[in-house]
Amino acid sequence: MFALIKLIQSLFGALHSEGTEGQLAAGIVLGSCLGLTPLLNLHNAVIFAALVLLNVSFAAGMLGWALFVPIGFLLDPLFDWIGHQLLLAESLRGLWTSLYNTPIVPLTNFNNTVVLGSVVFALLFAVPFFFLTRWAVVRYRVTVGERVRQSKFYRALTASKAYNVYKMFRP
Amino acid sequence: MKVKIFRWRAIGPLLVLFVIAGILWWLFADTIARRESQKVGTQILGAQVEIQRLHLDLRHGKVLISGLTIASPHEAFKNLLQADELVADIDVVPLTEEKLIINRIAANGLRFGTPRATDGRAAATSGDGIAGRVLAETRDWASQFQIPVLQLATGKVSIDSLDPRRLSTIPAATALGARADSSRRAWRAAFDSLRLAPTLDSASAALETLRHARATDLAALNAARQAIGRLKRARDRVTALDRGVRTGVAELQAGLAGLDSLRRRDYAFARSLLKLPSLDAPEIGAALFAPAALKPFERVLYYVQLARRYMPPGLLPRATTGPSRVRRAGEDVRFPKERALPAFLVRTAELSFLLHPTSEQPQRYAGRLTGLTSDPALYGRPTAFQASGPQLAAGATLNHVRAIPVDTAGASVGGITLPAFDVPGVPLTLDPGAGTSQLGFTLNGDTIRARFAIRSTNVRWTRDSGFTNSTIGGLIWQAVSGISNLDVEARLSGALHHPDLAVRSNLDQAIASRLRAVLGEQVAAAERQVHDRVDALVDPKVGPVRVRVNEVQAQAQAQVAQQRTRIDELQKNLEQRLRQLLGGVRLP
Repeated sequence: MFALIKLIQSLFGALHSEGTEGQLAAGIVLGSCLGLTPLLNLHNAVIFAALVLLNVSFAAGMLGWALFVPIGFLLDPLFDWIGHQLLLAESLRGLWTSLYNTPIVPLTNFNNTVVLGSVVFALLFAVPFFFLTRWAVVRYRVTVGERVRQSKFYRALTASKAYNVYKMFRP
Repeated sequence: MKVKIFRWRAIGPLLVLFVIAGILWWLFADTIARRESQKVGTQILGAQVEIQRLHLDLRHGKVLISGLTIASPHEAFKNLLQADELVADIDVVPLTEEKLIINRIAANGLRFGTPRATDGRAAATSGDGIAGRVLAETRDWASQFQIPVLQLATGKVSIDSLDPRRLSTIPAATALGARADSSRRAWRAAFDSLRLAPTLDSASAALETLRHARATDLAALNAARQAIGRLKRARDRVTALDRGVRTGVAELQAGLAGLDSLRRRDYAFARSLLKLPSLDAPEIGAALFAPAALKPFERVLYYVQLARRYMPPGLLPRATTGPSRVRRAGEDVRFPKERALPAFLVRTAELSFLLHPTSEQPQRYAGRLTGLTSDPALYGRPTAFQASGPQLAAGATLNHVRAIPVDTAGASVGGITLPAFDVPGVPLTLDPGAGTSQLGFTLNGDTIRARFAIRSTNVRWTRDSGFTNSTIGGLIWQAVSGISNLDVEARLSGALHHPDLAVRSNLDQAIASRLRAVLGEQVAAAERQVHDRVDALVDPKVGPVRVRVNEVQAQAQAQVAQQRTRIDELQKNLEQRLRQLLGGVRLP
């Protein structure tokens, strides 16, 4: 229940933050990469570092992560298929062989079908998703954003302690 | 408003986070490595791998494992081995390529076959992963052997319930009938396509013209020659068709012979429903000892097949099941590269172990394992194992360096107490006592050759509680209870997917004679009944098919012979008439 409230707080907090639409969209995209790919992998450390170091919405990133974890689970068979096709493609064998025998690279688990499939999918999905999210945030702020900000629901939400924690990391 | 790209103030917290992660790794590395080793080991072997303590000393390239227990993948409450201590010297640099290169392992205090409190079988219970699949395959492989039973049916001997759908002959007869019909149609079409009638008609007309022609009638002479040429070509076509018919007929006859063979198999199947005891000595050996003798073969085959999956020959990419996690595991694909290190290699392992660990004077043995690797083509040498000691000689070689893998294993163990086992089908228990067992196993590509032998001079037989209800048990008891020597030998040979199993023992002849004397007539009568019942089901299907095949054969052959005779006759008459007209003069 707390997680759900926190998620809703994150959603509205991010939408009404001072961050630009681009910052929000970039945060959600980076979060979606975390959620779509299996978490405990080296590339996710890089994505997490980017989420922290780049001036994007961290809350949006957490929101994107939370939203895309179940989607990642659902799409695992697709990722498995994509990874299988790529890893066993005759034309790419030389690339994979040299990467596999290069220090550090194998620690990314790129040779796992689900990891590679999900990373490739997340990368391809990132660009259209960024523009779609940015457009959606703009539309939200222009249309219903102000009315939501004035609503009792929003005020109650932002009054909670959890929101204060969130504010520490807002862009 | 210009938006800054970097959030510089976050570097501090991020570094703190990474430092915390590093400290956590330093604190829990041993635990994580221990759990991962247990998980991976269990996944690979298909049996629980338990480690009491694991210490990583990466600075000195050492790994210390204490209290290693590997459960048996086949027996619920037994361990495959336990080790007091393992010390491994590893290369640290290849770890950055996710490659584990162990230069030397020293294993002390190995013990085999110790009891355990919980069921440690992982592959057998879950059926997942490579180990689960290999276990299922080897079980299927072992279940293919039709082992005769030493049982007598109780009550009235009846096979009224014999289901015709389970007989092999009936569908084969139906298929053969269809083949005969299609052959008949094909031959008729081929015969029609020869278009012999116009050739024969024109040859007849030419012959008729020639009969009334003179020697100077060049047109008639030429027409006759052309007719002879056409007849020769027609005969060639008939000969070609004849060859096809002969081949087809031979195949149909082979099909009929196959029906006879299938009928014998159906007899055996129907006989197995009655649980009649065999009176042949070799079958008695198989009935008594085949289930026990198959177990070592099945187990060795399991490990050999596992080795083939995890240590495949060649350098092609190879996929294995990925790590188990909440998300889908997927597959890990490895890409071996020439002149690179293999993903896993144990260069040398020195083993020190005990046999009879529970006895007052356990015997100490030593063994050595070399070249255990995931990429034999990269390492370039086969994996070898050897162990020796008092009354023990064991060795194994896994040669996966070339395209066709060759795996061999052999062991001879003396002075060990062989486990007692129930004789299948009869309420008797055989305790071989202390004896010698030998195992030889070779799997060359897909050809298996294996031998397992048990010898003991101190055999004890025990009657079970259900003994009084078993007629055959009583007979066997009378035959074997005075025999204290046991000499059993099982041999496997042939293609792996369908090898021949032969089991013989020194008890076979004694039991066979006893059974034949008492049960011979009953068994023969029951077998006659079995044959009659199978014949009653099969004959109505096979008989018409046999007639149809013979009809098709006779019809096709007669047709070919008839046309060939006609062609020969016409050609002969034409040539004769030409000779008469020309009087031996050759015209250009």
